Amino acid sequence: MGKKQTHTFSEKLARARNRGDFAAFFMMLPAVFLLIVMSIYPFFWLFRYICYDYNGFKAYFTGSRNFMRMLEDQTFWRSVLHTFEYAGMKLVVVIPLSLLLAVLLNQKLKGTGLFRGIYFMPTVISAAIYSLIFGFIFAVYNGVLNASLKGLGWITEPIDWLGDPKVVMISVVIVAVWGGFGNYMILFISGMTSISEEIYESSKIDGATETQTFFHITLPMLSPVLKVILMLAITTAFKDYQSIIVMTDGGPNNRSHVMFSYIYKLIFSSSTTPQIGYATMLSVVAALIIGIITAVYMFVARKLDDVI
Amino acid sequence: MEKTHTVYSTKTKIIRGFLTLFLVVVAFFTLYPLVYIVLGSFKANAELLKGGTRLLPETFILDNYKEAWEKANFARYTLNSVIISVGVMVVTLVATSMAGYVFARKNFRGKELLYSLFVAFMFVNVGSVTLRPLFELAVKVKMNTSLISVILISAGTGQATYIFLVRGFMNTISRELDDAAKIDGCTFFQIYYKIILPLLKPILATICLLSFRTGWNEYIMPLVFTMSNEKMRPLTVGVTMLKNSGDGTAAWNLMFAGATISIIPIVLIYMFTSKQFMNGMTAGAVKG
Repeated sequence: MGKKQTHTFSEKLARARNRGDFAAFFMMLPAVFLLIVMSIYPFFWLFRYICYDYNGFKAYFTGSRNFMRMLEDQTFWRSVLHTFEYAGMKLVVVIPLSLLLAVLLNQKLKGTGLFRGIYFMPTVISAAIYSLIFGFIFAVYNGVLNASLKGLGWITEPIDWLGDPKVVMISVVIVAVWGGFGNYMILFISGMTSISEEIYESSKIDGATETQTFFHITLPMLSPVLKVILMLAITTAFKDYQSIIVMTDGGPNNRSHVMFSYIYKLIFSSSTTPQIGYATMLSVVAALIIGIITAVYMFVARKLDDVI
Repeated sequence: MEKTHTVYSTKTKIIRGFLTLFLVVVAFFTLYPLVYIVLGSFKANAELLKGGTRLLPETFILDNYKEAWEKANFARYTLNSVIISVGVMVVTLVATSMAGYVFARKNFRGKELLYSLFVAFMFVNVGSVTLRPLFELAVKVKMNTSLISVILISAGTGQATYIFLVRGFMNTISRELDDAAKIDGCTFFQIYYKIILPLLKPILATICLLSFRTGWNEYIMPLVFTMSNEKMRPLTVGVTMLKNSGDGTAAWNLMFAGATISIIPIVLIYMFTSKQFMNGMTAGAVKG
């Protein structure tokens, strides 16, 4: 650039124009504009109200009161527990299920394409809409699930799938699994296609059974991809709240509130005044919790790497 | 093929039978809610409220659609959904193809820093709270009553993956093409417009699909932006709003019809492009 001082400003300008520097700048502009306005600005906005009581019109400085309130906020800490409960249950079901389906459908047999296509279908549908549909299926008196279970003779009394505090989390997880397993299955399959056929063939020649092949070849060879997918699954599970808003709105008695659904209600609920300052405080804590989970997971994943 | 030569033992056959059965059962549970809602949308409301396990309607009626379309504003909701998803698609295509091109072909100070900012903010997620400043901003610039703000937010929060995809795809396009075009007198932008863009078609098709889907399925964000403005609501918001309105139970038929209207277009698109959908999702997720 500035090696020769003899270049005048206009010469530099002409050269930059010739190289397409201005064109590049303007072509980059839309994406950078969107990044700054839609992602960076809202993120830093968060910290502005963290010590304020802000209802959308007026903000009052309250110092550490948001923090103290959080410490005593039973509903919030229960929602944190529910988040772990939800994420744990979802992952325990969705990961083995999608891995199993991926193994079964990774063979080049007839019909696997059709099955893949069907399993992946929920992924293209809006979570809001399929949660609404499951709301009908779970309905107590005229829902098809209770009617079916009664028809089979498995239950005598209708189960209140979304209204019973003991069952509601299970119902929510069922919906989450329905909406998510196809996605992870496809990710697993794409990871498996990178494992070469020859390894499978040689293991077959050596007389390995299918289970042995899975545990001694597929799983270890898959482990780098597996780690990425698990990480994705964990962070997604901790961030889910859309279905819950649609199906239960956090109820009954806050039993199905996860962190982000509780925060959402604090800001956007139409029945109470918005508590935005307090919600920003909780959001930062929620993001920290997810950050810590991710860090712990990465640490554990690396440790496991050393062991195996 | 080698399969025809393989002789399976009875035990393997039984296991295979069980596995196929398992696949069929999972497929059944996957499809059931969708079939249930589509067939249910042709049932009379009384039949829906009665419940039961019968899947097919006693009598096929189209009244639900008629009512939803004429009385319940669904024509407007559908139009809004189309506007939002097409808008998100167009904005995403323009912004990400150009940015990906510049990232791949231009060296400038702070390039990798800027790139990592894009990637980092893809992972930062503080939930719905970020919608509040965006809403206040939209009010300030008087865009809170226009779908443009919804489109820009949706495109903006989803663009990082696509920029990544375009940049990766650009690396498979030979730089010699650029040089040849440059010698022929093409400017930096002309190279993009005349040479690169046609070559990017496969990845742009994927981005089209995924961003259209994002726009079509957007829920929480348009919900927040259309709280007090019923006319702007997309299908997702319009349909779920019926549930919370006073006559929620009475409107099952409308919600069934609305949910079907929301599902059918995207499922149809998916049926014809399932390969691209799956490839796009994996490329974005695993490599991203």
